[in-house]
Amino acid sequence: MRYATKFKFLSGAALLAAGFLATAAMAQEATIAFSADELGSTSYNPVTSSNLNSAASLIYDRLVEQDADQSYHPHLATSWDEAPDGMSWTFHLKDGVKFHDGTPFNAQSVADWIPDFAGTENAYLVAAIDKVEVIDNLTVKFVMKRPEPNLLYNLSSTFMGIPGQASYDKLGDDFGVTAAVGTGPFKLKKFDIGLDTVLVRNDDYAWASDLSKNQGAAYLKQITFREIPDQSTAFLELKTGGLDMLLGVPTDFLKILKKEKNIAVIQMPGTGIYYMPINVTSAPFTDIRVREATGLAINQEAIVASIYNGVGAPAHNFLISSLPAANVNPALNVSYDPEKAKALLDAAGWVMGSDGVRMKDGKPLKVKLFTQNGTEFTSLTQVIQAQLADIGMQADITVFDSSTIRDEYKSNQHQLAVRSYDWNNADILDWFFSGKRLGYPNVSMWNDPEGQRLNDIAMEQSKTAAERSANFKTYHEYILSQYLFVPIYQPTKNIAYNTDRITVPAKVRGTRFRSQTVLDMNVVK
Amino acid sequence: MTSTTGVASRAMAGFGKSALGRAFGSWLGKIAGGFLILLLLMAIFAPWITPFDYAAQDLMNGNTPPAWPHLLGTDRFGRDVLSRVIYGARTSLSVSATAIAISVSVGMTLGAAAGYFGGLFERVVMTVVDLTWSFPDILIALIFVAIIGPGLTSTMFAIAIAYLAQFTRLTRAQIVQLKRETFIEATINLGARPSHILLRHLLPNAIAPVIVVGMLAIGDGIVLEATLGFFGLGAQPPTPSWGAMMSSGTAQLFLSPWVIIFPGVVVAVTVVAVNLFGDELIRALDIRDRIRGA
Repeated sequence: MRYATKFKFLSGAALLAAGFLATAAMAQEATIAFSADELGSTSYNPVTSSNLNSAASLIYDRLVEQDADQSYHPHLATSWDEAPDGMSWTFHLKDGVKFHDGTPFNAQSVADWIPDFAGTENAYLVAAIDKVEVIDNLTVKFVMKRPEPNLLYNLSSTFMGIPGQASYDKLGDDFGVTAAVGTGPFKLKKFDIGLDTVLVRNDDYAWASDLSKNQGAAYLKQITFREIPDQSTAFLELKTGGLDMLLGVPTDFLKILKKEKNIAVIQMPGTGIYYMPINVTSAPFTDIRVREATGLAINQEAIVASIYNGVGAPAHNFLISSLPAANVNPALNVSYDPEKAKALLDAAGWVMGSDGVRMKDGKPLKVKLFTQNGTEFTSLTQVIQAQLADIGMQADITVFDSSTIRDEYKSNQHQLAVRSYDWNNADILDWFFSGKRLGYPNVSMWNDPEGQRLNDIAMEQSKTAAERSANFKTYHEYILSQYLFVPIYQPTKNIAYNTDRITVPAKVRGTRFRSQTVLDMNVVK
Repeated sequence: MTSTTGVASRAMAGFGKSALGRAFGSWLGKIAGGFLILLLLMAIFAPWITPFDYAAQDLMNGNTPPAWPHLLGTDRFGRDVLSRVIYGARTSLSVSATAIAISVSVGMTLGAAAGYFGGLFERVVMTVVDLTWSFPDILIALIFVAIIGPGLTSTMFAIAIAYLAQFTRLTRAQIVQLKRETFIEATINLGARPSHILLRHLLPNAIAPVIVVGMLAIGDGIVLEATLGFFGLGAQPPTPSWGAMMSSGTAQLFLSPWVIIFPGVVVAVTVVAVNLFGDELIRALDIRDRIRGA
């Protein structure tokens, strides 16, 4: 009886799903799956959220956009001037822009929005701004506490998408969850945390940046973004027509996809790193020698060659290699050296036991290794587990859901974890290693006075872009010398889409796949 | 009196050699039973019969097709699929059998007590037990994973709870029926204590169907364990579990299908064998009506 009922239920659901797919195929709609590294967003509130996915860039617009060549382009700000001493910035705003709730976007919107950041984890984005002055309806002046060479980058970030202030104040904590109001080309229709996000077109949209060919409303009427933790499932959905686009294609599938006639692959330079943070407050990792040994045990080149089929590059420090601050003293880069790792463990008093696990004071070298579900992470984690075993460290894996794993970090239950980030600016070092954010994002739980001093210099005392890069390089080098994490892999971004269903501009503008590209996407007629 | 003791002794002996022998009597029983015995031996002697260490990686020889010396090929980490399938039998069988053993013992105790004492106690127990039955197995499993974290312990508890209702109801139905038999009334009139009546007269008569249903449930337990493993909630790597092996195999479905096919086939064949053998056992014991009665 029990099984019969279940079966009926399942077949009913399948029929419903089939019906839904049939309607989706006819309308101007697209279904897109997020990549594995952007799963687990719990809110579309750009001000307070520490994790935003690609859909957030469609709901909100930014003052400035950054192109793939790192140049900045006007968006809601038509132009800007920086004072020669860097102590003020004036932005001229686009006329006629409206929020989704009909309220106008103007200088006051900007003046109301910047103070919202106070006390949030994203406050660093505006920390250099002393106050915002409304010059006239469409001119706004940022009076600075100090020069901020990174201001335009910050303003182009998804986290600085501008929310509608009336709705933001009214909804409070529900903003970005039950509803979200921005000026972007799409409106939030439905958000089921961990499942899907449905966006509908903003028909009034007429203020695209020059990164899009289409300057009017989007061609697509509705986009459904789905969170599919298992990338192989997502891939199969793309192949069978359940998905139109997949924002992160595992390298395993690239070979197969190239054979598929109706699937095109866009390869973009990656903007992130896969790495393994080490919790420095948890023994045996309180001993820097054990941390260094852990780093030397990981064979990045072998991982890239086998797990990623040679696509992408090994990572030897914390930043993507296109950033100047990634260019550290080569001696500080973390590379595979198992013999040195073993010698370090011997020196730290961990003696090899008969079962292949090192012992010290009667205790085995057993550590916890956290990862999140989905083949992308679990495969990599199993290789790391085996590489750690080679130096006599037994790492027990626990697989978590992408949204619950952050709670584990916050409660300081972790030792090692396999993670990734996606950010193309050196200030990611502040995000993950500042003593102000212990637990998450500072998964390494590192709170060090010298580190904080170098962090402050890099974040707050740089006057020019070159000075800022140099300061971050110094900070980066100090972080590397403390062995707070193990760098693993620099992926490329592989986006695949069904050419029978949708069209995508040949050249993707911007550093990421964001609203400027989605505006130019259309269904195949 | 003679006829009632006859019932008792026949049922007690019912699970002895004769029933098993009769279950093995048919060719279907021989094949299914033979396969299960082979699987059990594989699980027990896994460390001695596996050609390779199930966790040993050889990254440069990943995804090699079945050939000597890797008879079932290797997975993406270069691990021997055959060794992992054999060790997977250990995980699947031990988790499922332990869980069902817990479920049977708790279920029989609750069901017998409920059936014997009746009244409010019975109503409370049966309501709670029926409640667990109203949740899908996988949901119960997910609740356990959420509470105690992923791993084999939560898988075991989840399977145990998912099948608890079945055994409780079955035992209770048998006891309620047997309680009305003359030989029980006679024993009560002779002044026997409830524990004596339950343990010596009622349970031995009720046990056969419960054991058979328990055996069938082991098959379902294997499937549930594989399901949880597939979602990454069961055995944590590198411990091989058939479900987890299939899950990691989906990533290479088109590149190296052997990674997913072999564990999949073993799960399917095992479950079919458990069910076929269970059916033969039911036939041999002639208890089909009593199982349906629950």
